[in-house]
Amino acid sequence: MRRLAKPALSIIATCALALACTACSADGDDAPGQDPVTVWIMGDSGANFARLVEPFTSQTGVEVEVVAIPWDGIDERLTTAVASDAGPDLVQIGLSKLRMFADAGALLPLDDEIVGHPGLAPANFADGVAGAATAVDGQIVSVPWISDTRVLFYRSDILSQNGIADPPTTWSELRDQAQTLAGRGSGQYGYYIPQWDSALPVLMTWSNGGDIVDPQGQVDFDTPAFARTVETYAGLYADGSVPTNSDFDQTQGFISGIAPLLISGPYLAKSINDAAPELAGQWSVATVPQGSGSATSVFAGSNMGVWHSTDQKQAALDLLEFLSRPATQLEWYSINGELPTAKAALSDSALTGDPLVRVYSAQLEDARVLPMVPNWDGGVGQDLLTALNSIVLQGADPDRTLADLYARTGSVSAR
Amino acid sequence: MRRSLLTPYLMAGPAVVLLVAFGVFPVLVAAVVSLTDMNISGLADFSRVNFVGGANYAALVEDPDFWKAIANTGLFVVVGVPAVVVLSLSVALLLHRSDGRLARGLRSFYFVPAVTGIVAISLVWGYLYNTQFGLFNYLLSLVGLEQVQWLSDPTLAKFSVALVAIWRGTGLNIIIFLAALQGIPDEYLEAAQLDGAGEWRITRSIVIPLLGFAIFFVTVTTLIGWLQFFDEPFVLTDGGPLGATTSMSVFLYKEGFRLNQFGYSSAGSIVLFAVIALVTLAQLKLRGTDADR
Repeated sequence: MRRLAKPALSIIATCALALACTACSADGDDAPGQDPVTVWIMGDSGANFARLVEPFTSQTGVEVEVVAIPWDGIDERLTTAVASDAGPDLVQIGLSKLRMFADAGALLPLDDEIVGHPGLAPANFADGVAGAATAVDGQIVSVPWISDTRVLFYRSDILSQNGIADPPTTWSELRDQAQTLAGRGSGQYGYYIPQWDSALPVLMTWSNGGDIVDPQGQVDFDTPAFARTVETYAGLYADGSVPTNSDFDQTQGFISGIAPLLISGPYLAKSINDAAPELAGQWSVATVPQGSGSATSVFAGSNMGVWHSTDQKQAALDLLEFLSRPATQLEWYSINGELPTAKAALSDSALTGDPLVRVYSAQLEDARVLPMVPNWDGGVGQDLLTALNSIVLQGADPDRTLADLYARTGSVSAR
Repeated sequence: MRRSLLTPYLMAGPAVVLLVAFGVFPVLVAAVVSLTDMNISGLADFSRVNFVGGANYAALVEDPDFWKAIANTGLFVVVGVPAVVVLSLSVALLLHRSDGRLARGLRSFYFVPAVTGIVAISLVWGYLYNTQFGLFNYLLSLVGLEQVQWLSDPTLAKFSVALVAIWRGTGLNIIIFLAALQGIPDEYLEAAQLDGAGEWRITRSIVIPLLGFAIFFVTVTTLIGWLQFFDEPFVLTDGGPLGATTSMSVFLYKEGFRLNQFGYSSAGSIVLFAVIALVTLAQLKLRGTDADR
């Protein structure tokens, strides 16, 4: 027994210490003044965000506590926060997760709050993402924060070496050019389709003048526009113009010239500049090709929402209004490289001076958010990719596979 | 008298409390959740959770993805368990023959994968396997062979992923076998030598039978590990291409945390739990008859 006494004592001592620590940190929270506003920021930009909100703290005296949540960990964090009702006060939400957050009841409806905070009015923000575009069940539950889109990246040097003067402006041009470029030799391709990118077939459908949601708000892939999309998508594989392996590295593929055309987001421009600064001037971006309709791209990015049970509603809304100011969003672009959503910021000369950003801004004017289905990434988007990839990679029967896709997704409503 | 009666319970108490709190209780909760349609909105507000009886289990039986995950897990077990047990036993037997500096160095060498973070491992192996820029395909190209899609070909990807897990799983088991080998009394080996048994005969008839318990232990833990196979497919392929490397655990994770179908996912985890319990019981039973003999 005596041999046990020592470890037992140390365990008790540790527990006591832990309790004491919780007690003292609780004491700290009771300090005079206001509690800090907790903000969840996605990705690894937490430190930059803390810098961004310093002026807010010095103006209002409200401390801001920034918690960085890795993109991969957001589902788990949301689940535990909803289950334990221990959420932040303000939270950044990737647009594809917005409906899930709203369905979980995690977000405070903001329709009434916007009246008292003119800075949050939908008219201030890019049309593709403002107000009704990201409302769930007719309620506004979030305010646009940063924007992101997809544009066409092209290697002008490789294109001109192969007798191509301009990047493709239509999907059929793209298909022709890709075939020419793939003819450079074995292991060379013309275009790259990321096998995990569910937005690509959707924006192709939009560019064919169609939609994947019917007028009643049900997901519907059984349309002529989507059929043309499948034709282009499968055609690129049938031509041998795109790599078939799932572990293709788009940055390396673009830099090495194996895939001199591809559609990606502005983050790829940063990766290229970091990995191959010597390529400057030999590549550029253009708006996405158009199909039988317009050159529409996807409006991605993040909104900000107020946690439903926050006890800091006023401070959170004030911070949200601060973040919605064009000046704040431009500052964020300069320190973190993420594009603004405020119209005034998007047309500011600080942005439009950069030729790449001019293309992004132009594309954002013709960009739409993915349909607000309950779970795009894991549900409809996944089903869409599985169907397309099994047709193009494993030779599955297109008619049967697509019929299965229609059946799987037809009952999903996008409100 | 009274104190002596209480003592064993007091001693076992903390362990039992921990086991109940973190082992039995979650299984019971999962069993209850598996009978409901719990999803994320139900988590926020329990009034939105409905009792659905066995509907989740019926849906599982109907779900082709579930059967695919079971088939994949079965293949992983059939490939992985014998490979890990045989490989680590062989390496341990070889390492045990010498106590030189090289053998001691090799011991740590084999143990390195077991203590390296899975994310680092997946990054490195991801680059080795990469179709365009990977080392393996570069080596193949040196001898004039075609590119191989290590992680993109549905059949090959299963084996590529299993190989990483085998590589990672042997280290710890080698240490267990080495410890067991050191527990074999030299007298037995000497006696066998005096009887004229050769090296191979000693290994087969003396060493391996005496390692019986270690082999049993390694087999049981390895089998459970492979039935719950998760890390390698999750980080290397995310269950792809097109579900080819989706094990039971990856399937459950995706249903539970990506689709937020907690009820459905719980039903699947109860099935997996039952499978593991049955397999382990069967092994214990077999082991029992073996010891009686």
